[in-house]
Amino acid sequence: MNGLATSSLSPRVAAPFARAVGVMAALGLLVAAPLFVGQYGMSVAFNLFQSIALAESWLLVSGLTGYISLGHAVFVGLGSYVMAVCFAFIPFWAVIPLGGVAAGALALVLGYPALRVRGPYFVILTFGIAELAKFVVVTIESAVGNFGRILIDVPDISVLYELMFGIAVLAFVLVSTVQRSRFGVALRAIREDETAAETIGINVRLAKVSAFALSGIIPGMVGAVMAMRSAYFEPMVAFSPMVSFAIVTTAMIGGSDTPLGPLLGAVLLVGASELLQAQAPEIYQIILGVVLVVFVLRVPEGIHGRMVSWIKRREPPRR
Amino acid sequence: MTEILAVRNLTRRFGGLAAVDNVSFTVSRGEIVGVMGANGAGKTTLFSMIAGSISPSAGTIQLCGKPIHGLSPDRVNRLGVARTFQIVRPFSALTVLENVAAAMMYGSRRIAHRRDAEEQAAVLLDIVGLLPRAHSLARELTLAGRKRLEVARALATGPQLLLLDEVLAGLTSVEVSAALELVRELHERQGLTIVIIEHVMRALMRLSHRIVVLHHGRKIAEGAPDQVADDPIVVDAYFGKSRNVAAAS
Repeated sequence: MNGLATSSLSPRVAAPFARAVGVMAALGLLVAAPLFVGQYGMSVAFNLFQSIALAESWLLVSGLTGYISLGHAVFVGLGSYVMAVCFAFIPFWAVIPLGGVAAGALALVLGYPALRVRGPYFVILTFGIAELAKFVVVTIESAVGNFGRILIDVPDISVLYELMFGIAVLAFVLVSTVQRSRFGVALRAIREDETAAETIGINVRLAKVSAFALSGIIPGMVGAVMAMRSAYFEPMVAFSPMVSFAIVTTAMIGGSDTPLGPLLGAVLLVGASELLQAQAPEIYQIILGVVLVVFVLRVPEGIHGRMVSWIKRREPPRR
Repeated sequence: MTEILAVRNLTRRFGGLAAVDNVSFTVSRGEIVGVMGANGAGKTTLFSMIAGSISPSAGTIQLCGKPIHGLSPDRVNRLGVARTFQIVRPFSALTVLENVAAAMMYGSRRIAHRRDAEEQAAVLLDIVGLLPRAHSLARELTLAGRKRLEVARALATGPQLLLLDEVLAGLTSVEVSAALELVRELHERQGLTIVIIEHVMRALMRLSHRIVVLHHGRKIAEGAPDQVADDPIVVDAYFGKSRNVAAAS
């Protein structure tokens, strides 16, 4: 190999010590936040972590494989449902992973037939499946005489904050790990050209279904915590398609196929929501709508994508 | 020489049309076999069946004596068959290095760690002359570059048998010479067995040890390049009977 190869491909220097310390300090600060942040602050942060966790999980399948899911609400709803049903007789900390496993299993079952189609067909199919699941749960609940379930004696917001923070960190680490792994490379190859991916030995079906199943776990856990936050389960709310729309919007505004995209998207959207809801409650939905339209038309690569190209333009050209 | 590929009575029908009709031939280890034929002769369909992308309607395909017909493309690739596409299919938004590293991590090599795969991919990129573009996105390459990338990506899967589908099409004469040199080098240095479809007849004649000629899905001739070029049936199929009669007279 010539000098160029060795210089450009040599192992990167380990992350600077200062950066690692910075990340640890930020994480520590966020863990300790309930000690010095009020109810409102925790509530906003809870929404932020929820938004990050959901958008990261969506990125795992839709960002990496290009199969745009408009049905992730089904996994959130199922997680909430599991919590609502089990809350009274199983400790909540055990129900959260249970919600994740149930949603992951559902994703595995749904993904197998759904991932046979792609493009707009997959988008519509996932949306339809989520709506179908919602009405199945509505029917089951009315058959057993329930019109909503109340969760009595839910944990304090400070506990829920820590739980949602943990899930968001888990989602971020999961996406980072997958994105850098051999599996992540296969998913990106599938996004670019499924036929070519098959001919280099990638088991495309297995990779897609695995990504979809993995992507369902986090929303299941998020849904379980969300049920405790609202202390109430109502299928029309828990399975609301608005959840799916919000996930897609966050991930698209954030942009890119790296875990930083959803993080940036969530910060912008949750921040804007809080600010606008406080300052201009009458028009805040309209402003958010305009922001989304502007992003789709003018910044289709999202905030992170735009930042990366901006940094690249400022770097000396690589030879 | 040991037989690496054996295609027997292979047929593929699309509705009433037999795109490939009862074709049989074998390829020995280390050989370069050319597949020749006009547009629509069934060459790419034949390749797609060997690579597992299309299942045959009838007939068998054996790789080193083991049947591979009906297997999925990824399994066929893992058993040692790699292909390139007539219309190039790079992973456009991935870098050139990532394209080849992805194939290193799958295929028959299955290198577990990304860094190891990238190091070996760089070696391959050096061979095909794309190392200086390793960090460019695949979509930024010229057609000649993308064709080289297809070859590198196919090689990265660690094949015993390489199927090249019109790697010279659309290239300038200088690029054709360079690409031919590359194929010859791969054959000589790596001892690869190659089956090549090509429209550039002169190139195919120079490169191949043996040529199989398809016409309307059927095999009409097989043999050494000189032998095939002089075969009246092949001349008929390519230039029409009048040309043949005129040539004879």
